[in-house]
Amino acid sequence: MGSQSRGRQSIWTLFALGCLFLLGGCSQNDPRRSVTLWHQMVPRDRVMLDKLVEEFEAAHPEIDVRTLYKETEELRSGFQTAALAGIGPELVYGPSDVLGTFHAMGIVGDMSPWVNSEEAGEFVEGALTYLPDPNDSEHRMLLQVPDRFGNHLALVYNRKFIAEPPATTAEMVDLAVANTLDTDRDGRQDRYGLVWNFVEPFFAIPFLTGYGAWVFDESGQPVPALDSPESVSAYQFILSLQQEHGVVPRNCDYETADSLFKSGKAAMIINGDWSWTDYLETEGIDAAIAPLPVVSATGKPMAPMISPKGYSLNALVSPQAAEDAMQFVQFMTSAESQRKFMELVRILPSRKKLLDDPLIREDPTLAASKEQFDRGRIMPVDIEMRAVWDAMRPPYQTLLGGNTTPAAAARQMQQNALHSIEIIQQESAGTAFLWLWQLAGLAICGSLVFWQRESLLGLLPDMRRQPFAYLLIAPALIVMFATVVFPFFYNVLLSLSNMSLHNFQEWSIVGLRNYLDVFTEAKFFGVLLKTLVWTVVNVVFHVGIGVALAIALNGPIRGKPLYRVLLIIPWAVPAYITALTWRSMFHYDYGAVNLLLGEFLGIPPLNWLGEPGLAFTACIVANVWLGYPFMMVIALGGLQGIPQELYEAARIDGANRWQQFRNVTLPLLKPVLAPAVVLGGIWTFNNLNVIWLVSNGGEPADQTHILVSYVYKAVFSFYRYGYGAALSMVIFVLLLAVSLYSLHRTRATESVYT
Amino acid sequence: MKESLLTTLSRHLLLLVFAAISIYPVLTVLSISLRPGDQLQSTDLSIIPPNWTFAAYRELFTEQPFLRWLGNSLLVSTLVTFTGVVLASIGGYALSRFKFIGRQATMLAILTTQMFPATMLLLPLYILIAKLQLVDTFLGLLVFYVSTALPFCIWQMKGFYDTIPPSLEEAAHIDGCSRATAFWLIILPIAVPGLVITALFSFMTAWSEYIVAAQVLQDRDMFTLPLGIKSFQASMSTQWALYAAASLLVSLPVVVVFLALSRYLVSGMTLGAVKE
Repeated sequence: MGSQSRGRQSIWTLFALGCLFLLGGCSQNDPRRSVTLWHQMVPRDRVMLDKLVEEFEAAHPEIDVRTLYKETEELRSGFQTAALAGIGPELVYGPSDVLGTFHAMGIVGDMSPWVNSEEAGEFVEGALTYLPDPNDSEHRMLLQVPDRFGNHLALVYNRKFIAEPPATTAEMVDLAVANTLDTDRDGRQDRYGLVWNFVEPFFAIPFLTGYGAWVFDESGQPVPALDSPESVSAYQFILSLQQEHGVVPRNCDYETADSLFKSGKAAMIINGDWSWTDYLETEGIDAAIAPLPVVSATGKPMAPMISPKGYSLNALVSPQAAEDAMQFVQFMTSAESQRKFMELVRILPSRKKLLDDPLIREDPTLAASKEQFDRGRIMPVDIEMRAVWDAMRPPYQTLLGGNTTPAAAARQMQQNALHSIEIIQQESAGTAFLWLWQLAGLAICGSLVFWQRESLLGLLPDMRRQPFAYLLIAPALIVMFATVVFPFFYNVLLSLSNMSLHNFQEWSIVGLRNYLDVFTEAKFFGVLLKTLVWTVVNVVFHVGIGVALAIALNGPIRGKPLYRVLLIIPWAVPAYITALTWRSMFHYDYGAVNLLLGEFLGIPPLNWLGEPGLAFTACIVANVWLGYPFMMVIALGGLQGIPQELYEAARIDGANRWQQFRNVTLPLLKPVLAPAVVLGGIWTFNNLNVIWLVSNGGEPADQTHILVSYVYKAVFSFYRYGYGAALSMVIFVLLLAVSLYSLHRTRATESVYT
Repeated sequence: MKESLLTTLSRHLLLLVFAAISIYPVLTVLSISLRPGDQLQSTDLSIIPPNWTFAAYRELFTEQPFLRWLGNSLLVSTLVTFTGVVLASIGGYALSRFKFIGRQATMLAILTTQMFPATMLLLPLYILIAKLQLVDTFLGLLVFYVSTALPFCIWQMKGFYDTIPPSLEEAAHIDGCSRATAFWLIILPIAVPGLVITALFSFMTAWSEYIVAAQVLQDRDMFTLPLGIKSFQASMSTQWALYAAASLLVSLPVVVVFLALSRYLVSGMTLGAVKE
């Protein structure tokens, strides 16, 4: 007993020390002014970034530059949120395509006071991004100062297979066909002629431009032109590569294409500047970069989209912070800094004089990059561009899945784009009847109090009667609701508001319109049904498998500890990697699932990731795998509480195994399993991650969405914060109703002994 | 107690099949971590790739602040586990044993905190973090993780207490024990499997979370492991070998914690002499 209490004491001491450490860690004293930069540079670039930051800090001892890497999408959504909360970084670094959005939200500032026209003239045309000032029609705001151009696609080829890169698409097809081989004649290709991120519309752009099409029309305004005859021919050509010539493998997403090329199983790959150095350094292949070929049918070169990449200033920072931040920007975009980046990572600089640098002529990669850049088109920064990507993706994937014609797909893309643009550009004024809504809020609170008046009046006397009960539950309640109450009511307000791209910082109450939108959107009920299937199937399998394994483990068998550890592994390994391995296990050609099905059951390979129903099944399988260990652990714990005497009594009464399970195990397991089942259902209903990772964001063609991924899309692709909040409220009410019903039915809140 | 050979065999068969299913995808992760050149996909099914390398593991420990992230994560997770277990064990007891006003409402309210889609909570959460000046503090993380883990933990503990007959405490009361003593000496030891599950769950909540962490922690030196691992990811140029290696290493402490705790889950510690 003595050693045990000492053990307890030391645990508490550790705990207290930990708390002290936590609080102590908060105070930091640094006399320097800080500039925070959020960037999305890849590891190679970060090395140079860190070096330059050091140089800058040595020259400006009063400034402390803090850099933080964030993945592209995370940076975008994180910056929006942070800027709104008033604690965003002074600077963000990334491609220019997000600037239209940031500008509409009013979260990026004008940098033109720091860059005069003479200096601006030293940049390549189109490098600096200007957009009109909403407050002054004469003035144009400078929103980004770039240090490079990037994101352009080119053709990378393996010189072991291809001596000369193709100059035309006809040559490219011939080379690809000649390099698509089944050397061991097992019915599976051992090398493919041409690979790329086949299902992503960004990679279709060079084909579109090669056939003379462009995403917007010639008016100079961002009006989508996705259903032109030229784009239809381009899609036809892309489709023929896979269906007619068979040079592109099935399920060819980014990672498949990348792996095939790196392992010498693809002769050519279309990929962007970010990937080239990697290919050049990969052992076992002999990669070289070439400009994309000229389209034989039109004589036009395939022209990729290019984006300037650079620094933008947070609009909401103090003048002093802006001054410091701009000093850093000027240092980072100077000719010297750009040259250093050029040498290390072969970037394409944004300053005119560096484009004539001998390095660009001498280095074959930079030369090819420059050539491709000269043919490229700058990606529009308009808000509409994002709507175009989202509009293109579903029909494009349906087309590549062989389920529609190029003309129909193009028509659908155009329709989607017009619709999306309408949604994104929606602007609306607040209601004039704000007082009405305030009154309604008060009335609801009042009637709730009135309804529960007896309980509320009885509360104080009851607290005096059994203070112990309230004292025990209070700390937990305080912690839980401290973090939930404010966000919840904030969302209730948002759901009644017009918060969107154009009403981002100053939103106002508009009433029930968002709720109306939720229920009138045609897809809502279909997605709801899918969500229900998803939830029920998952929970049934989680609990079924979990309980079965727990019962199997709970018997007198050898090797229990080993089994136990092996069986909880799916829970222990982070889902953000295992969900991805499940995706690769479902691959058509190389996945373990198809191989096993074929080997043992003789089932021909299934297109798991390409067919909507199968893709959804794949998501469910992966999620079942992730979830059963948790239920097994709970059931194991629950089984310990069942007295053996009860089984003995049941046996004496002549109960067989099944009857024992029905009449002893299940009822006694119920109070322990019930919370896990109810909460498991709620979590599964709202589980965004697994669906997102396994189906790669809803592929194919947005057919694998459940309600939460819909919320996610509405908010992060269309900036419909009000709508997203309303949809979330609907989800909340749905879950509340179902939980109330099931708790009532199962009486899960009641003890078996009462 | 003897079992028929058939029963034992079918137990083994079930466990073997699921052990294999459990482990295969993780072997694939191992394979990614050993593969040179950052490839997520493989074109063959071999677990040990040709020209395999430990380079990713070496880099994690020598060039990346992996140990620092590990320390941060251990600190945060341990604190969350302690706080979660303490609050849930007493809160669940109150809900199981006392008929106080608003008990049902409280149980439901606890559940409702889990029902709102997290996506939409991020924006107000961020405003809250900013206003309370919790950016770059572990305290901010601690509060959020505890409040995320508690609903399940409290319900779980309540469920466990519900399976313990109240007659035990009544007997102790007759013997002169106070309510608190009876809870500490009699109820808690019986509820150990529940405490273990609560501890495991709290630990896992803190251990693998990265969305809230990404909002709270802006300083790379304060990163927790999941955030550190996420920094290896980039759209279209993820360092897969590092990503996979780190993910595997991250799961080792979980396995160790589980091993240490699991004897309480399966020790057959039943209610023994309790007769109803």
